[in-house]
Amino acid sequence: MSADRTARFLVRLYPAAWRARYGAELESLIAETSGGRVPWRTCLDVARAALRERLRAAGLTPDLPPAERVRGGAVAVLSAWALFVIAGVGVQKFSEHWQSALPATARTLPGAAFDALVVGAALGSALVLVGVAAALPAAVRLLRADAVSLRRHLRAVCASTAFVVPLTVAVILVAHRLTERQRSGHDLRYGGLVLAWAVVAVACFVAWTALAVAIARRIELTHRVVRLEAILAAGTTLTMVSMTAATAVWWAALAQRAPWFLTGSARGTTNVSPLAPQLVLAQVCMLAATAAAAAGAAQAVRALRAAR
Amino acid sequence: MATNDPSVLILTSLASGPKHGYALAQDILGFAGVQLGPGTLYGAIARLEERGLIEPAGEEARRRPYRLTAAGKDALDDTLAQLRAVVDEGTTRLAQARRQPRRRVRARHA
Repeated sequence: MSADRTARFLVRLYPAAWRARYGAELESLIAETSGGRVPWRTCLDVARAALRERLRAAGLTPDLPPAERVRGGAVAVLSAWALFVIAGVGVQKFSEHWQSALPATARTLPGAAFDALVVGAALGSALVLVGVAAALPAAVRLLRADAVSLRRHLRAVCASTAFVVPLTVAVILVAHRLTERQRSGHDLRYGGLVLAWAVVAVACFVAWTALAVAIARRIELTHRVVRLEAILAAGTTLTMVSMTAATAVWWAALAQRAPWFLTGSARGTTNVSPLAPQLVLAQVCMLAATAAAAAGAAQAVRALRAAR
Repeated sequence: MATNDPSVLILTSLASGPKHGYALAQDILGFAGVQLGPGTLYGAIARLEERGLIEPAGEEARRRPYRLTAAGKDALDDTLAQLRAVVDEGTTRLAQARRQPRRRVRARHA
């Protein structure tokens, strides 16, 4: 790749606002100092600096004022929560009818873990909604004053919502005409429709989250709301920790008593691996989201203490 | 504040007049022997400009020169005073340390 093309690519790693201010200068400097080909050391230096600028734009570097760090931490928790929800929906779909796989006497531990998962999901959702509600007046003010700067996000939200609503109605209507067996993966067309719906629903959820994050980065919040957001971020993270642990306990209990359920094998089949790919992926996403949320919440709480 | 801190090096380089990114990198390599990568250099330029310590001195988009502001000159002055204090203290202590072993040796022979 030529130095000019590499320089253009490297500059694109920076946030848009930074790029608009320094992009042309940096691109020129990379090309000037590189001769015919950009050395890997320069690539590494620029990539590292770009990551730092992205973290800074997200309010996640220690050189920012405390209020910005609280906001950055809370936004990190919100983004992590979105990934967690997607993974959680995967676990929920995977675990449908798990009770039928175990005798009543063996359901105590996985039942308690599953209940903890459901309670955690409800509590976490409530905390996130309270956080959104607290920031809503400022968000409405921002949308009234400067919706233009958010038009890309608003367009994505409108388009994905316009797809997901009729598709949801179609899935419900089709599902009502099918038997339970057909709905459980034995009807190829219904399976395809559900898959398409899932993809569009995830895209819609991501678009809404991206809009919420973009708004959260721009709005002016009072000290009281900032403090509340930090507390809610910490609470949401705790629910994520408990839900991740609950999922692992539920998984381990089922792996021990009914591993066949996890792989979709015939009832009572032994010698099957409990590492179902969907569940592994969901648990990895939950762990990653929980770790990101913990880092964000820790930053928000530390910054809140520093602001006192 | 270290002597190889990119911010100190940039402020020091700009003390002799406005420079664009490439000239800054070359000048710093010349007087400090430090090769600042383009990402590190522009990260520091962005922070310094944000803090009002440097400012653009021209309109060229691809080779924009920067110069020190009054606040930048004061900041460099403070930093150099701090570094000078460390250098002076280090020099004094090193001189004392070099004298002490000789005294000990003399004391042992006495």
